[in-house]
Amino acid sequence: MSFQEYRESFWLGVKDMLPLLSGVLPFGLITGANGIALGLSPEQVFGMTMLFFAGSAQLAAYQLIQDNAAFVVIVLTTVVINLRFAIYSATMAPTLHPLKKRYRWPLAYMLTDQSYGLCSSPERQSAGLPERVWYYFGGAIVMCSFWVMAVLLGVAVGASIPPEWSLEFSIPLAFLAMLVGTVRNRTLLLVAVASGAFAVLLRPLPLNMGFIAAVMIGVGVGHVASKLRRRGADLYE
Amino acid sequence: MSDMTLWLLFAICGLLTFSIRLSFVQLHGHLAKHLERVQPVLALLPPAVLAALCIPPIVLNSHSAAVDWLQVMAGLVTLLLAVRFKSIIWPILGGMCVLWAGRYFL
Repeated sequence: MSFQEYRESFWLGVKDMLPLLSGVLPFGLITGANGIALGLSPEQVFGMTMLFFAGSAQLAAYQLIQDNAAFVVIVLTTVVINLRFAIYSATMAPTLHPLKKRYRWPLAYMLTDQSYGLCSSPERQSAGLPERVWYYFGGAIVMCSFWVMAVLLGVAVGASIPPEWSLEFSIPLAFLAMLVGTVRNRTLLLVAVASGAFAVLLRPLPLNMGFIAAVMIGVGVGHVASKLRRRGADLYE
Repeated sequence: MSDMTLWLLFAICGLLTFSIRLSFVQLHGHLAKHLERVQPVLALLPPAVLAALCIPPIVLNSHSAAVDWLQVMAGLVTLLLAVRFKSIIWPILGGMCVLWAGRYFL
């Protein structure tokens, strides 16, 4: 699996990740700036960023630290918000598990929403193992370094970015564009609609539980629908 | 919270987050049989996760938690452009332009 051989896959991963960075920049700036506003030292914000490597969990932790929440509550919230990584981990397992531990662990550390979004597309999943690994690595390393730089920039710039630009809104838009790529048939469309609708309805649930519940409902609906469809096909045979 | 407690908090949260990321990647060999059985379900996960991630912050206003029609419009434009273009930069730019134009003119 030498770099020379799979250079193309690596650079394709880098290239595909670049447009996603525009949405990450404001998120990183906000994460950096908010940490300073909260009274953390630049070292603490940097350390937190490296240890978490998860923006939404970091922002949630800020909020709870500010609210003087209990230690256990902050830890639990972080885990719940990051539970989605277990889903990503399952999707990436066939690609990353065969690697040696010294590659597998750092690559698992770099797993993000964006990397998952890129690598879970059917087109990507059908590529050979080394191509998939190098493609993932290309995207993940760009994402990883850009995220840390964006947070540090946020630490330096502080809160002087006009909030009325609402640049953070480009994050859900990026996920929406990725979503379109994964919807290849009617069952998957049904899954997306159910999951999205329930995520909105269950938003008020505490600890971000609505997110996990909506994903489970969406998958459940899709599972039942594909079973019914298969049974329907049997009837006509 | 004292500095020491904060660092302990960051370390524990970081360790747990890494463990979640590593979970299936590490145990894949032992779970291979089960994974095969749940493969049809796994195939349903990407649209479910991505929809649950993006629909609420587009539909609901982050301050008022009410339906924000301008953001919904921006999302629709992004959706249409995403069907048309393969790169995701145009859908994002299109959606952001709707948001900015809407805020400016409305």
